[in-house]
Amino acid sequence: MPISNAAFVRSTLLLLIAGMVALLGIVGASLWLANKVNGTFSDVVEVRLVRSAAADLLSTLQEAETGQRGFLLTTDPAFRKPYDEALQAIAEKRQELNAHAAALPEYAAQVGDIDPLLSEKLVELANTVDLAEQGRTAEAIAIVHNDRGRVLMDELRARLSAIISGAEENLQENVADTLRSAEALQWTTVVGAIALVAIIAVAIVVIGQYTRDILAARREVELLNTSLERRVDERTQELIRANQEVQRFAYIVTHDLRAPLVNIMGFTSELQASLDAIRAYVLADGRKPGEGDILEARRAAEEDLPEAIGFIRSSTKKMDSLINAILKISRDGRRELRFERVDLKALAEAGAAAVAHQVAEADGAIEVAASLPSVVSDRLSLEQVFGNLFDNAIKYRSTGRPLRISVRSANRGRAGVTIEFTDNGRGIAPEDHERIFELFRRSGTQDKPGEGIGLAHVRSLMRNLGGDITVRSEPGKGTTFALFLPHDLSKIVRSLQT
Amino acid sequence: MNGLGKEVTIVMVEDDEGHARLIEKNIRRAGVHNEVVPFTNGSDALDFVLGEDRSGLVSAGRFLLILLDLNLPDMSGIDILQKIKTNVHTKRLPIVILTTTDDEREIQRCYDLGANVYITKPVEYDNFANAIRQLGLFFSVIQIPETQ
Repeated sequence: MPISNAAFVRSTLLLLIAGMVALLGIVGASLWLANKVNGTFSDVVEVRLVRSAAADLLSTLQEAETGQRGFLLTTDPAFRKPYDEALQAIAEKRQELNAHAAALPEYAAQVGDIDPLLSEKLVELANTVDLAEQGRTAEAIAIVHNDRGRVLMDELRARLSAIISGAEENLQENVADTLRSAEALQWTTVVGAIALVAIIAVAIVVIGQYTRDILAARREVELLNTSLERRVDERTQELIRANQEVQRFAYIVTHDLRAPLVNIMGFTSELQASLDAIRAYVLADGRKPGEGDILEARRAAEEDLPEAIGFIRSSTKKMDSLINAILKISRDGRRELRFERVDLKALAEAGAAAVAHQVAEADGAIEVAASLPSVVSDRLSLEQVFGNLFDNAIKYRSTGRPLRISVRSANRGRAGVTIEFTDNGRGIAPEDHERIFELFRRSGTQDKPGEGIGLAHVRSLMRNLGGDITVRSEPGKGTTFALFLPHDLSKIVRSLQT
Repeated sequence: MNGLGKEVTIVMVEDDEGHARLIEKNIRRAGVHNEVVPFTNGSDALDFVLGEDRSGLVSAGRFLLILLDLNLPDMSGIDILQKIKTNVHTKRLPIVILTTTDDEREIQRCYDLGANVYITKPVEYDNFANAIRQLGLFFSVIQIPETQ
């Protein structure tokens, strides 16, 4: 299916736009997803910080409690050291947790709740440690027994653990979220890539098809070009041949007209000479003509005069018939052609019927092919051509065998119709194949009457119909005349007129 | 006109009987009395010169001079010229082309093929008669070889 220029531009433009949209889609989706992942990641960092701060606070708080218990048991100042260190760490961690939670509103409230509990616990720890320091260990232990410290510690542990596990959950959610985003990004990329590949493939197909079309068109143009050149060559050759024929025609005509002229002038002079002899005898003016004069005059009257007059007369007649023959051909050339569809088969059969009697006499047969093409041409001209060819085939038949004439169509690779008339007659010598078409020229033994006009006439008729006639022949075997005709002469004539 | 003391036969190939008659008359007037064998077409002339088998053997021992017109009804005089000049037996026969054609290429072609003399028939009869008579005088002095 050939693609038109506009369709090609439209489809390639559409494909380009589709490709661009797909590309933009991929880029946009990637940017959005990357942004989302980025946001998730910073959340993750914050949550992790809150979580670790909470975990650290819990562990330092436990350390502080452990240090407190150890000091209460031993009241050894060496055992107070872990407690003091833990206290310091707790202050740091508490600040850290507060700072990190401040950025995350969901944790800020929880952390806010923890803060007073933590202060209370620290106060309880400080009280017991202070009492133990002052040696009031029993009071301190009583405070511990009071159970408020344990409850606070449990509460703190529970709350911090809640923060930690919440953060843990949050983290896991974020990770899952990131994973989903990554997956979505992957899918977007894959789908976009597939779309791009598909678009490129379609574009390649379209462009390939278009390029193939262009190449095919170019090949066609080249082919047309070469065939055009060949046709120009053919026409040129035909023109050269036609020109040569015209020259040959002029030459033949002048020669053939000159020959009887030489006779007329020659015998007129001879007539004059004979007249002198007669005059010498008749106009002797009283002088007695001599024996020689009498003989001379007698011969002139008896032989020379009738011979000269006979030749002058026959030569004049010959000139007249030559001029008539030339006129006939010239008239045929100027006759208005009448175009009509001519069924060549019917025409050949009619021509065969017209000579059927002569063919039967020669014990012969004419075979017309079952199907012959039809052409638009001049019927009268074609009738004359066919009739002439049948007449020739009968006239120059071989005496040794029954006459066979066949009319067939042949394919000679030219744009037109070729009809072949084949006979089994006496044939034509190769050197005479051109000569038979010349005016007043004949070939072979001159045992049949004729003036050498028929085939010259046929050829001029065929040329007039835009066609041609050629001959193939083998002496003693037979002859084939091939008639070439254009399919529609009216078209050719019309194109000549425009 | 002699050929080793033997009579020479003039073969005249001329399709126009009027021309043939005029030529013969004027040859006679030049005092040539050799036998003239006229032919009005090429096939008969070739039958006589080369024999029906075209071998040329038939001319062995003959003394012939050929007067040839180029425009014949059945074949071109050039073909006859070529056939006679390429036959081993008849190639030495003198051939005088006597025709109405004065086409330069045609004249060259005839000499190339071995024509001995080429004469264009003048249309003017005085010139025609004069040319033929001079040809007759020429005939009366030339030597003709015997055909092998």
